[in-house]
This record gives sequence, structure tokens and C-alpha cells, in this order.
Amino acid sequence: MSAAQIRFATLWRREVNRFMKIKKQTIGAPLLETFLYISVFGAALGSRVGELHGIDYVVFVIPGLIMMSFSTNAFANNSSSILQQKFQGAIQDQLSSPASPMELLLAFSLGGFMRGLIVALLTFIAASLLVDLPVDNVLVLVPSLFLVGFFFSQLGVLIGVRAEQFDDVAFAQTFVLQPLIFLGGVFYSATLLPQPFQTLTHFNPIFYMINLVRYGFVGYTEVSIALSLLALTAATGALFLINLRLFAKGYRLRA
Amino acid sequence: MPSLKCPYGCLSDGTSRLLGMNALDIKDLAKRYPTGVEALRGVSLEIKPGELFGLLGPNGAGKSTLIHCTTGLAQPTSGSIHVFGHDAIADYGEARQAVGLAPQEVNLDWFLTVEETLDYHAGYFGVPKRERRERTKELLETFSLTEKRDERTRTLSGGMKRRLILARAMMHRPQLLILDEPTAGVDVELRLELWHYVQRINQEGTTILLTTHYIEEAEQLCDRLAFINHGEIVGEGTSADLAARYGVDNLEDAYLALVGRKELSRSRIEEPVL
Repeated sequence: MSAAQIRFATLWRREVNRFMKIKKQTIGAPLLETFLYISVFGAALGSRVGELHGIDYVVFVIPGLIMMSFSTNAFANNSSSILQQKFQGAIQDQLSSPASPMELLLAFSLGGFMRGLIVALLTFIAASLLVDLPVDNVLVLVPSLFLVGFFFSQLGVLIGVRAEQFDDVAFAQTFVLQPLIFLGGVFYSATLLPQPFQTLTHFNPIFYMINLVRYGFVGYTEVSIALSLLALTAATGALFLINLRLFAKGYRLRA
Repeated sequence: MPSLKCPYGCLSDGTSRLLGMNALDIKDLAKRYPTGVEALRGVSLEIKPGELFGLLGPNGAGKSTLIHCTTGLAQPTSGSIHVFGHDAIADYGEARQAVGLAPQEVNLDWFLTVEETLDYHAGYFGVPKRERRERTKELLETFSLTEKRDERTRTLSGGMKRRLILARAMMHRPQLLILDEPTAGVDVELRLELWHYVQRINQEGTTILLTTHYIEEAEQLCDRLAFINHGEIVGEGTSADLAARYGVDNLEDAYLALVGRKELSRSRIEEPVL
């Protein structure tokens, strides 16, 4: 391995190692949470709801839950990791190394991406054992999940770099992200909502992400897949470029 | 073939001396923080390879800012910094590769073990695995931390944390080691222990920049010194040079003259009447 490869591998390893050391909290807790949702909304309520657009309610809900666990874990990991290291000053060790802004940004991003991916994969495997979960369109599913994970990894990095206290991270997660995800149609179809909420839902970017992932699994969507993929790609790219610029300028990282 | 002292392909001291290159070359460095504070106002400083150089000044004089600008933790407003010929801004990768920093504030990650702390640091500097393992073992021995290798850094005593920070800075075999107030708030034994380490590291060929506000420390350890105050270098030379410059007998009095507190000189403390 070249020096640059060793450097990047170590930066990334540090981020993965951080959450693996506390995996009860970083992997275990989100897995349990997802299964509580599946039990409540799928098994308990689902038997009453029956089918939505010809799909078993529990099967309708699971893709949204997988998307939700990928995104919230990617976000939470990166925002906490960066803020924690800023708080301790430990991030100076990486910042005073020869690592480039691009290397630092990618390593911080990929930590959360890995955690989201692990939780999402484990949820998928366990859900497949419990219910008959189809994978209708793998060519939409894989890039969609990849983009969703990367988007929220970037968002986590952005919030972590901007944050000055733990309250800032909690605010973004509890008051912005969580409501948008819940109201984006993880547990229901927007077509069931009365107006104006049905239209309002279309202004929620997460609504499109949920539809992409749901389409990948069960083949049902309420929005244009091509347009949603395009918009998500553009948004992810834009966020990455913003972060790269902030890292290059040393925004809130270098005095 | 890379020299033994510099196995990662950097220039050996011999080569850099030959080229007349400074270990650290700072020219007209200014740093204004966004708050408007002018921490450095046109500092110029040259440190020769192999030197043990001391930067002395009161709290808030600009010592840490100068170090942060050199290591990439702060961004200079103007001026230039070269580390063994590498521009710290344009060529930051090479410049930072040549520097090891033991900061003033303990900035260890509480969740890492002692061994991980050292291993990751060397990894960030591109040191291959086998060498990282050997170097970790060696430095754990040197700094009497071997028994603590699997402990999380949070559980270490203050003195152990200081030693670990110094070991971490040396993991990638920097040519220039920067010690920012390494003995602030440590007990007598550890202070002397650290002095021995610093001297040994220097004798083995590493250039050292040491900041301190302990006069005795500077006098004991450093070949050459600079006084910094209000973001400016106000005097430079050996401790005898500096004393002569202020027309006093010793470095401490020179320092007091610099900060405008001559009345505190020990020579003015009267013998107690028994």
C-alpha cells in the first residue's frame, strides 16, 4: 500500500472502529427500534390494515424502515463522531496530518455510511426471514440506497462540522430529520392523506427517497423514479461539493 | 536509499545543512482571528536543523498560534512558513509529514486505547503496519506505557497522558518536533523526566521547537531562544545574548524587562530579617 492508501485506510478504520466499539448503542439499538416498528405497525396494526395498493401492509412498511435506518444511522454517526472529536480536540490529530480535505471528508463520510449499511443490511436479512419481502427492481434499489446513505452521511458531516454543542446535533435529528422522515410516508401512502397534506408531502425531499427504495423492493411508487433518482443524485453531489469546500477552507475545523 | 534517521524518504539533516535549508523558516507571519484579535503581527523566525529552539512569552503572546499555523490547525492571514523547505500552505502534505506536534492541551480521544492512539497517528502519516507495530512497542517502552497499552486514554493519569502525547508526536519520526508547553502543570519528577526525553530526542538528531513560560526550562534545554510578546518577536539569541540585550544578569530578568515587570526581579527581594 502507498502512504496515501495507508493514510486513508487508517482514517476510515478509525471511524468504523469508533462505532464498532459501542455497537450495542450504534448497531443493536437501531436494529431493535426497527423491529419494534415492524411489530407494532406491521404485525399488530397490519392485520387490521390488510393491503395498501395491493401490497401487504407490513411489506409496504419495511422498505421505508430500511431507508430510515440507513439514513438516520449514517447521519447520527457522522454528526456525533465529528462533534465528539472536535469537543475533545482529538480531531487535531487528523487535521495536522498530511491528509487532504478530500481524504478527510471521505473518511468521515464513509464511517456513517458503513454503519447505516450494516444496520440496513441486517434489517433486510432479518425482515426477509420474517416476511416474504420481494426485491422487484434491484437496479433502482441499489443505487437508491447507496445515494440515500451517502446523502445522509454528507448531511451528518455538515451538521457535525457546524455544530458547537451536542444540542445542535440533537436539534437537527429530532426536530428536522425525524419529522421529515415520519411525514415522508414511511408508514403510509401519501394518497391516503387529505388535502393539503397530500400536496405538502410532495415538498418533502424524503418522500422521494422513500418512494425510490419502496419501488426497488415492491415495485410501487407515487412519484417518477427517473426524476427522483436524478434529483437525489444532484442533491447528493451538491452537498458533497459544499462539504468539500468547507473542508478545503477549514470551516470551523481550522482556526 | 533513505537514511536510517529518516526512513520515509525525507532529507537527512546532513543534506539539508548542505543545502543551507532551515528546519523551520517563518517570514512575516501574521494571523488575525475572525474575532479581530491579532495573534501574530509579522513574525519571522529561523530554526536550523538539529537545533533545540525555545520560544518564550507570556500567556496569550502568540506561541500557540504560531505553532497552529505551522501544523495546519490555524490558517495564516499573511506571510510564509517553510518546514525543511516545504511550504506549509502550498505543499502542506510534505510540510506536515516533517512535523510532530505535542500540543499544550491534552487532546487524546477518550475512547481509544493507548496503543490505538499511537497506531492511528502513524497511520495518518502513512507509516506501514509492520513499522507502526515496531515503533509503537519501542515508544511504549521509552515512555513507560507498555503496561497501559490496552487501557483507554481516559483512564490514564495526567502524567501518563503527557507522555502519551509526546510518544504520539514521535510515532512518524518527524524531523521537527514541536512541543507546546510540554511541562505546563506537571510535577517535578515528570518535568525532569520530560527534559531528559527532550534532550535525548534532540541529541538523536531531531530539531525541536519548544514553547514554555518557564525560564529555567528554556535556559536548561535550549540552544537558542526567542522572546515573543503581543504577537511579535522582540528578542532572539542565546540566553546570554538576551540578558546582555536587556542589560541584566540573567534570562529571567531579561524576560521581566520584556514584559515590563522589572520590579519583580529576584535581585530585589530583600534578605529576610531574622
